[in-house]
Amino acid sequence: MNTSSKSIVTATIAMTVLATALTACNSNPPRATACSLPEGPDLDRAISAARFDLETGCEHQFDQYFQHLLTIAEGDPKKGNKAAFSEFLIWANEEGLLSKRQARETYTRYFGVKYVSLISDYSVCDQTCPRQDEVMREMNRELVDKEQGLLKVSADKREYYRANRLFQETELVLEATCEACGRIE
Amino acid sequence: MKTTTIRDREYRRKFIRRLMGGCLLFMPMAVHASAQTPTIKLFPTTVLEEIKHTGNVAAEMETGLQAVIARLDEQQTLYLESKCEGNEGDPGCEQIARQMGQSYLEMLNIMGDKLPEMETAVNSTSSSLEKRIRRELGQKKTSWSLQELLVGAQSEGGTNADKPALRGRSGMRLSDRFHQYYKLVARSGGEVNSSLAVIASDIYLDMQETSSLIARTREEISRATLMEQLNQSFGTITPEMQEVVAGVKSILFGEEQASMPMTAPPASQPQQGYESPLNL
Repeated sequence: MNTSSKSIVTATIAMTVLATALTACNSNPPRATACSLPEGPDLDRAISAARFDLETGCEHQFDQYFQHLLTIAEGDPKKGNKAAFSEFLIWANEEGLLSKRQARETYTRYFGVKYVSLISDYSVCDQTCPRQDEVMREMNRELVDKEQGLLKVSADKREYYRANRLFQETELVLEATCEACGRIE
Repeated sequence: MKTTTIRDREYRRKFIRRLMGGCLLFMPMAVHASAQTPTIKLFPTTVLEEIKHTGNVAAEMETGLQAVIARLDEQQTLYLESKCEGNEGDPGCEQIARQMGQSYLEMLNIMGDKLPEMETAVNSTSSSLEKRIRRELGQKKTSWSLQELLVGAQSEGGTNADKPALRGRSGMRLSDRFHQYYKLVARSGGEVNSSLAVIASDIYLDMQETSSLIARTREEISRATLMEQLNQSFGTITPEMQEVVAGVKSILFGEEQASMPMTAPPASQPQQGYESPLNL
């Protein structure tokens, strides 16, 4: 190969590298475009990987990541998992991925005894009774999430029992209260 | 003079700081105390007395009916053991059937006499409770604060034995049920708001159900009486008659012990778990 041919090949390679680099600068980071859910049974590693993805362009998939982390945690249920998810949600709030209210509600929905489905500003007669059936359905769905968070992820039978008992008591008390509210003379 | 003022200010500042520190130490207690108040007033003395009275009326009705229902049971056993089913033309069987019919009429008469008083007592208690529940739980509480009230007793560490079983109709005599309600309410002494909310709801719904059953039974009594008077001339036992007797027995004397609708608590001991700052 003569000198002129060599310089042409070198120039072509240099142009290609430059073009590739320019294209890369114009698009999202390669890790972020993948937005691949973390793999493996280790929750701490999965949380680290999720954090990286969520702060590099995958924030719109927060719910999927959170649900995937729950599924990974189900593989090794222990009470310490609650703290791991709490810290993850606090981090998500600090990163601006979730508001403080969203972080609290998400944590309580899965790991708390109380039901976020019951959050309201007005009286039971005025706000809850007109949609009593809907509220009970929402609570029922939330109890399923608590089953995942408290039982399957945290192995906390006692807290799940309390949540279950609270569901039954709330159902009874709401039934009676709404019956009484509906009979205003 | 000026130096004294500055020193005074310093002392005042220190004093205020100490006072504030002291207040901070007491704050958790104050918050805890304020969380326990205000007490919800679901069971004033009048409601308590009404529950007691309803129990007494139910006991009177049961006493009146017990003998006649026992007699009916005996007659029915005799009827079956004598192989009278499908053998209605037999004079002996006809006689047993007529006797059963008379006992049945007697039962209907006693119920017809006693049910109005029972209905009044149940409705009066139900109405008083209804007003209390509407005001104390329906109007003064949001669903969130209602939930906090209910969850309160759980964290107060009450044993499961202290907690009321949900839904009243659990296979016991009507009078015993009211007697149990009275004891539950009287024993609690208004201390555990959350349990009282559950008890009040339970009693109220049970009363609603009982009231509706009484009203339906009263409507049926006159028709059943007429039908049985007609049947007396033929000496037959109708399936309807057997059903009515079975129904009355289940309302007044309870069915066989049904299993409670509550899930059993886990065997593990209460323990302090992880508390997230995010937990609502």
